[in-house]
Amino acid sequence: MEEAIVKEIQRLKEELEKKKREVRDLTELIHKELDRPFPANVEELSERELETYVAEHFPSLKTSPDTKPDKKPITSHRKIFGKPIVFLKQFLLKSVVDYNDLFLAKQVQFNRQSIDLYQALLLQARNNKKRMKQVQEKISSFEENLAVLGAKLEDLRSRFEQIKNRTANHKNEPERS
Amino acid sequence: MSPNDHEGLRRLLKYLKLNAPAAIPEISRELNDISTAQGIQEAYNYLLRSEVIFDLRKPSLGVYDQAFHFIGGAQKYGLTLISALQEQFDITIIANHEVSHKDFLSWYSLDLSKCRIKTIKLPYFEERRALHLDPALIPKGTKNPFHLISQESGNYDIFVNNSMNEMVYPLSNISVLICHFPERRPKTYFYADRYSYVISNSRYTAEWIEKIWKLSPPGHIYPPVDMEPGEGELPKKKNILSVARFEVEGTKRQREMIEAFLTLNQVWPEIARSWKFILVGGSNPDNPYLARLEKLIRNNPGQNIDLKVNIPVEELKRLYRESTLFWHLCGLKHEDPSEIEHFGMTTVEAMQNKMVPLVFDGGGLKEIVDHGVNGFRVKSTAELLEYSMRLFRDKNLVQSLSESAQKKAQVFTRARFEERVKSLFADILKTYRSVEETYPFY
Repeated sequence: MEEAIVKEIQRLKEELEKKKREVRDLTELIHKELDRPFPANVEELSERELETYVAEHFPSLKTSPDTKPDKKPITSHRKIFGKPIVFLKQFLLKSVVDYNDLFLAKQVQFNRQSIDLYQALLLQARNNKKRMKQVQEKISSFEENLAVLGAKLEDLRSRFEQIKNRTANHKNEPERS
Repeated sequence: MSPNDHEGLRRLLKYLKLNAPAAIPEISRELNDISTAQGIQEAYNYLLRSEVIFDLRKPSLGVYDQAFHFIGGAQKYGLTLISALQEQFDITIIANHEVSHKDFLSWYSLDLSKCRIKTIKLPYFEERRALHLDPALIPKGTKNPFHLISQESGNYDIFVNNSMNEMVYPLSNISVLICHFPERRPKTYFYADRYSYVISNSRYTAEWIEKIWKLSPPGHIYPPVDMEPGEGELPKKKNILSVARFEVEGTKRQREMIEAFLTLNQVWPEIARSWKFILVGGSNPDNPYLARLEKLIRNNPGQNIDLKVNIPVEELKRLYRESTLFWHLCGLKHEDPSEIEHFGMTTVEAMQNKMVPLVFDGGGLKEIVDHGVNGFRVKSTAELLEYSMRLFRDKNLVQSLSESAQKKAQVFTRARFEERVKSLFADILKTYRSVEETYPFY
């Protein structure tokens, strides 16, 4: 290749390298979005992952049983009509919230009971898992014993057969004088 | 990415092929257009690729592992790959902590003096003085600390991420992610699907890459195992050997194996006494699991059980050569697919030394041991004892299985590994050098 072109490639490379070093953000470097959301599919999780999932998500469920919306201050950017608009909005919201509270109270109570029930079931499941592990340990210990005893029995049986055959052979041998 | 996205590259190559100084302004303009439309990195990548197509230099390869400064099986995999490719490529080993050619030579007997080592410190981990750079420990909302490595990846023709760290976004023309197991599900900073190739260490890992990362089944290259006995066989002793790291979580199931051997001693001492159970493995200081094992053995004295921690390689080699049976139960009682052996290097090492393996029936071990042909695969400690006792009483069976085991182990040698690596990278390079590109390459 022509030396002038090789030199040009080198020059362009150095120029791009310099530009690359100046860019801090990867998206700017590749003109592409890097990140995407990945929703969790609980059904696919392993037992260990489920434990982590519960540990991460349960506390947040426990702290938000209320159905009331988060309180946001009502403000207005209008200089003259702002105050009456804010007053009207506050009045309307208060009357709606008070009215809703009458039957939402029952919903809140239900939510709290549901969370308590979840927690109880969770504890029960954990206890059962612990117990199951203990039972499994015992079963595997019995199985080990059984396996060794089975082999030992087999060994004794084959020895017994050998002795039996030897005795039979001995009996069948003609007596030597 | 469709082939049309590389129109810019085709035009650039057309001007370069003219090989005329008059085309210089066109080359410059073309690169400028690519840079504006597709980003600086794409323009740079086209230039790198053109250099290789026109044979202006050797293709460059950057190989990254966040744990190159530790001794490990995965690191040995990556470094053996480098060793196989160092003639063909201009290689840079990218590490996060200081490590030297001398270290690689003494840890793995690999001479990588033709490669350069570049250390890129990551401020997030430096501030925390963390030697172990675990992506799983990065809290939600933290800026991706591995973006510095992503940026570095864009300086090579081919970038190989050997650390199965899916938080590194590859910017190079071609990228290869080597995965020993997909430990995290896709979430923030997940870029495994941005790599041109994903290579796994076993079919088992490949299956889980498909399930967890939803990527099409990747190709697999089994790890290199080189524990062949060399010249002169040692007479075999009645030893049962276990070689596995003493993990704090106990996932290698040494406790279960010791308890099974104790049962054997208790129920049938006449047969057990002539055998010795030796457990070998590495461990960090103050390992509570190891302390529990030591206590278990102390409480049952006179049972022919030996624990050997952090022993030199020469001693391990001797133990392999003179032992008869190999027990490995990693995967038993698992709660997660990552707790099953993804491959099982020590099992292959044992087989190379004519030992009969008795291993857990799961994970990568299923690809190594063929039940009843070159060892036994078991689902419980009871089955482990059952098959062991069969072998205790049948010398001929031990003889035939051990010979088959040694034969099977040939599938996993370093020579076989290097052959597969060279063939893969030759194919990659052939496509890379050809102007008619199809993408992705596989």
